[in-house]
Amino acid sequence: MENENDKNEGMLREDENTGVDRTLNDNTDISSSKSPLTTPPMKEKGISFLLRYLLMVFALLLTFILLFAFVLYLAPNLQEISSGRKSKISASSEFKKDADYKKQIVRMSKEIQRLSRKYSTYTSGQSYIVINTTDNKFFLYKNKMLVREGLCSSGANKMLQTEKKTYLFKTPKGKFSITGKRKHPYWHRSDWDFIEQGLPVPPKDHPSRWEEGVLGDYALDLVDGYMIHGTIYKRLMGMPVTHGCVRLGDKDLEIVFNTLNIGSKVYIF
Amino acid sequence: MALKYIYSDPEVLIMEAETRKNPIHLFVIILISIVILAAIAFAVYYGIMEMMSPSKKMAEISAKYGSANYEKLKLPKNITSDSTFLSLFKEQAYLQSKVLMAETDSVYLTLNMSERMINIEISGIVVHSAPINEIEASKIITNGDEFVITSLLSSPLTIVSDTSSIAKIPIILKIAPKDTSEFKPDAIPDTAFYEPVNYIFETDRGIKIIVYQSEEIKHGDSKDLFLFDLRHRLISTKAALKEIAAFKVPEYQPYIKIKIPSADAKIIYRAIPKHGQIAVFL
Repeated sequence: MENENDKNEGMLREDENTGVDRTLNDNTDISSSKSPLTTPPMKEKGISFLLRYLLMVFALLLTFILLFAFVLYLAPNLQEISSGRKSKISASSEFKKDADYKKQIVRMSKEIQRLSRKYSTYTSGQSYIVINTTDNKFFLYKNKMLVREGLCSSGANKMLQTEKKTYLFKTPKGKFSITGKRKHPYWHRSDWDFIEQGLPVPPKDHPSRWEEGVLGDYALDLVDGYMIHGTIYKRLMGMPVTHGCVRLGDKDLEIVFNTLNIGSKVYIF
Repeated sequence: MALKYIYSDPEVLIMEAETRKNPIHLFVIILISIVILAAIAFAVYYGIMEMMSPSKKMAEISAKYGSANYEKLKLPKNITSDSTFLSLFKEQAYLQSKVLMAETDSVYLTLNMSERMINIEISGIVVHSAPINEIEASKIITNGDEFVITSLLSSPLTIVSDTSSIAKIPIILKIAPKDTSEFKPDAIPDTAFYEPVNYIFETDRGIKIIVYQSEEIKHGDSKDLFLFDLRHRLISTKAALKEIAAFKVPEYQPYIKIKIPSADAKIIYRAIPKHGQIAVFL
């Protein structure tokens, strides 16, 4: 090996000595040289070529990955770098003596008071109930004080699909009012209750539509048939299982029934 | 002499000779070089355009809200940089937004950056409150002209679209049975089901409200979170690229990013309507 290197170096030195610069001689066909040092075997040449191409592909890929990362991750941060300096805020006492300034501050203070008063009028002094449909919890308020909280059951967010119609069982959200209060309520079964069980749908006034006891001891009507009522499925309390109504436990329902009046607000979110 | 030795390396000489002999090889090298240079040039151009976008946005906001409000309120000179005035102006703007939203029967959000609280309200009643554990906002919101930014926020922001890692309504589909023999009772819902909660509200005034859960993500959720983040970045980048391709400065979207407990984040996302409203207090 050392001999080969010596030979190689010797050859190069020889070239230097003869003054022939091989790198500058375009006509020199090195690849056709028969020296074992200048003509690597075909296999090695192939690997070398392959490596070079792979390197090029890798460079290209890396460029695109870096460009992608720059555009997606770095450029948005550049926006923040360039987003400017902190604006100047003054508290000059000279300026505060100005009549126009004083007038403006008084005007704004009055407007804030007016808006605050207006906003506080929205806060009901009456009893109201808040229902959280995500956690299935209720909060009962009286004179702006929380008087009871507990579990409830709200809409299952179930979509019942028939060939003709689709029903979505979810509890509506927003502000509602109690429109009616009933003791020992009967339930008038809707079409979907029969469809869901694979039963034929009877006429609207059919006796099989009326069921006693399933709504508990009390029912408070909201809107479009939605109610707050009791249940016989007490183990499902705190779970989203209803057809849109809000179910409460027996004791909670009794307190809610006795606290809320017709017109009381129900806030569902 | 050493340099000459390197250039005289027979391997290099072979490569050069091959390159000279193989024009395709040379073409590929030139092509790759051009592609790399073009990519660098594009990155520089893209970066410059992106850096210009906040200034453009601030100028737009200033013209549309700042100047308009200044004229509407007939304000004395230099008052917009006074601390007392700004403090009152911020309070007034927040109350104005809240009163406007309270007049509807819908669910809305109030985001108080100063007190680090986010509330769900319905008709003026706070029905749910959540503490904000971390808060971060665009520099044009935190450092920009307070009068202009407050003017921008003096009426509620309306959600125009959202991207989320959870479903707005987790709907369960059930096909009605043909008869009683096909009837199957519903399965009891899994209330212990866990999913990471992260979402972004895009609002009508171009401000993004980004809500992330403050809890550390569980093992296995990092992929979902990465994909959620990537999806959102891709949407923003696509819009920016369209503008940049037309030699226009892209639209800058200021953001407010908050981290809140995941249970609260889920409640908020499910409670707020698709086009719900948000009042922001700086």
